[in-house]
Amino acid sequence: MRRVAKFAKRSLGRFWRGLREWCGDASYERYLRAKGRQNAEQRTLTPEEFYVEQINRRYSRPNRCC
Amino acid sequence: MKSVLKFIVWLCVAVAGAGALATIALHRGEPLNATWFVVAAVCCYMVAYRLYSAFIAARLLALDDTRATPAEIHDDGRDFVPTNKWVLFGHHFAAIAGPGPLVGPTLAAQFGYLPGTLWLILGAAVAGCVQDFIILFCSIRRDGKTLGQMAREEVSARGGFIAQIAVLAIMVILLAVVALVVVNALKSSPWGTFTLAMTIPIALLLGVYLRFIRPGRVLEASLFGVALVLIAVVAGQWVAASPSWAQAFTFGGVSLAFIIIAYGFAAAVLPVWLLLAPRDYLSAFIKTGAIFSLAAGILFVRPHMMMPPLTRFIDGSGPVFAGKIFPFCFITIACGAISGFHSLISSGTTPKMILRESHARSIGYGAMLLESFVGVMAMVAACAMPPGIYFAINSPASIVGGTPDAAAATISSWGYHLDAQTMTNLAHSVGEQTLLNRAGGAPSLAVGMAQIFSNTIGGDRLLSIWYHFAIMFEALFILTVLDAGTRVGRFMVQELGGRVWKPLGRTGWMPGILLSSAIIVGLWGYFLHQGVVDPLGGINSLWPLFGIANQLLAAVALVVATTILLKMKRLRWIWVTLAPMAWLVAVTMTASYQKIFDANPNLGFLSKASALAAQIAAGQIPAAKIAETHRLIFNQRLDAAVTGVLALMILVLLVEALAQWYAILSSRREAVLHEAPYVATKWAEGFTGAAHGDD
Repeated sequence: MRRVAKFAKRSLGRFWRGLREWCGDASYERYLRAKGRQNAEQRTLTPEEFYVEQINRRYSRPNRCC
Repeated sequence: MKSVLKFIVWLCVAVAGAGALATIALHRGEPLNATWFVVAAVCCYMVAYRLYSAFIAARLLALDDTRATPAEIHDDGRDFVPTNKWVLFGHHFAAIAGPGPLVGPTLAAQFGYLPGTLWLILGAAVAGCVQDFIILFCSIRRDGKTLGQMAREEVSARGGFIAQIAVLAIMVILLAVVALVVVNALKSSPWGTFTLAMTIPIALLLGVYLRFIRPGRVLEASLFGVALVLIAVVAGQWVAASPSWAQAFTFGGVSLAFIIIAYGFAAAVLPVWLLLAPRDYLSAFIKTGAIFSLAAGILFVRPHMMMPPLTRFIDGSGPVFAGKIFPFCFITIACGAISGFHSLISSGTTPKMILRESHARSIGYGAMLLESFVGVMAMVAACAMPPGIYFAINSPASIVGGTPDAAAATISSWGYHLDAQTMTNLAHSVGEQTLLNRAGGAPSLAVGMAQIFSNTIGGDRLLSIWYHFAIMFEALFILTVLDAGTRVGRFMVQELGGRVWKPLGRTGWMPGILLSSAIIVGLWGYFLHQGVVDPLGGINSLWPLFGIANQLLAAVALVVATTILLKMKRLRWIWVTLAPMAWLVAVTMTASYQKIFDANPNLGFLSKASALAAQIAAGQIPAAKIAETHRLIFNQRLDAAVTGVLALMILVLLVEALAQWYAILSSRREAVLHEAPYVATKWAEGFTGAAHGDD
């Protein structure tokens, strides 16, 4: 029973993370992780700046099909 | 033992698929159950994925998981983001799934369910999926370059220019035709118009929330927005029931066209966070939910196909659009089987996010199979309603008449029984004043979806709610395509215009933004207005134009893919891309020729213009309508010119490619591949993003 509960919890966790990734909820966290790996000298964007910059970039090229 | 068992399982799947396809093709008499369509599609997809995509991956492309992808090499957390395979599959599918696979098969149902279903399943397996998969692979190997850049580098500079013009052409015609679908769906429909109008303040509210209150918290904002949209769908019935409110939300075609043109301009000019992005989030959730609900509904209800396998209109005399089964079935279905537009997504965001080369198979090939399945579901929804009702909804008044009695008499004379009372009752039961002459595919698809949904939940009581939910779902994501397309079109006009007049190229300069937005909106707005005032309903001329433009882009993509395969010395397997390319060229050139020169005025643009001019000369047009008729003549000639230019571009590209291939094959030119250099991956085998905290 405990094993089933553990499996269900892990599956739900995966689904939740996948959903957050898919809809863009986790984009800022990804950005921070990438930034941490790169040790870039550029200033780290705030969540608000990152959100606006990201969608401006995304909607300047074909991203929705017919 | 295990491999024998596997072989037996796959043999069973193949036999089930072939059996279901044979039943669909050969069954006559009693209406066929929709389950056959689901079994045929799913089994064929499984076999195609298991065998054909594996063959392409191993023999043709030799996918290499030891090679680092652009997402690993350039990982910046912005454009280049290593992404879990299934998350990226969801991203890619959400990007490629637009209104095309819903509207195209619905329109093509006028030929019966057989030709469209066969092309949806087989066309996707051997053409559409192949194009998406190979272009995705090519872009991954070239640091995520776009189709235009690859065409320029691998084919020729002219090839790149043609790709750029084809993208702009398809954008303009696509936006016009999808806007026309919305206009025809909302014409004289206060409920539908109110619901869709409400999505604007809801999107603005979400935009402010996501920008200032909880930046980037898309999930919670979208779920809140979806709840508000569903409330708006229910509230629409009270608006429709109130005489004063209903009047405020009732518009004719021309008024709606101008409202949508103004909306498109606003969406292109306003900050993207305010309207465009939040509407896209709303649309993505509702679209995904509605598509999966439709699949579940079809499996639950298992409706019978009321439409015959082949109708009398395969001879080209169809009321929904003119033209014979070849080439117009293939032009009309478009995105459900193969779409050139997909190659822009496959060479856009997706290659920059892919974790491993082998993922290109499930994402490129697999997502297109799912898109094709959406097309099959749309075909089932359209063919599950009695053909008389289907033709009454989708035919223009100039062909079937504008009253229920006239439409019933005309359609019954074709052999598809319809009585006037049925149409009146159906309109009342879905909360509309009329369902007659609503060309464009959206209303008939909504009726089909509503019948499937109401048979699953709620029965006839909820038919009107389900109908307006379906209309809202279609219109919402069509408007999202319109917003996003207008904005991208604006950037393309700025890029092209910037070569002539530099300030126009500055993306932050407000006069440039206003001017370029006005140009792109003016272009598609003109075609939209033309469609709205067209006596044949607009779809008859605009949808084939869209199909031709879309297939032109697919031909560009397949030329690029074939050239790259030749340079990779895969001559033995070149038919994989060459055969679909040859088919597309044959279909597109035949359709272009017929649309321009056919002697039937309902089909040929020039003969229609001549017929109208002859009517003026013979004094058959009242004086008050002469100016309008001159405009119709001009529009027909303009459509002929646009079709001619598109066909010419295909020919130029083909000649260019043939010269290139001849030079490579005869060793007159060295086959230089413009691949990025090999970099070995640093990620361990089996890595799924865990090092990045993703798993």
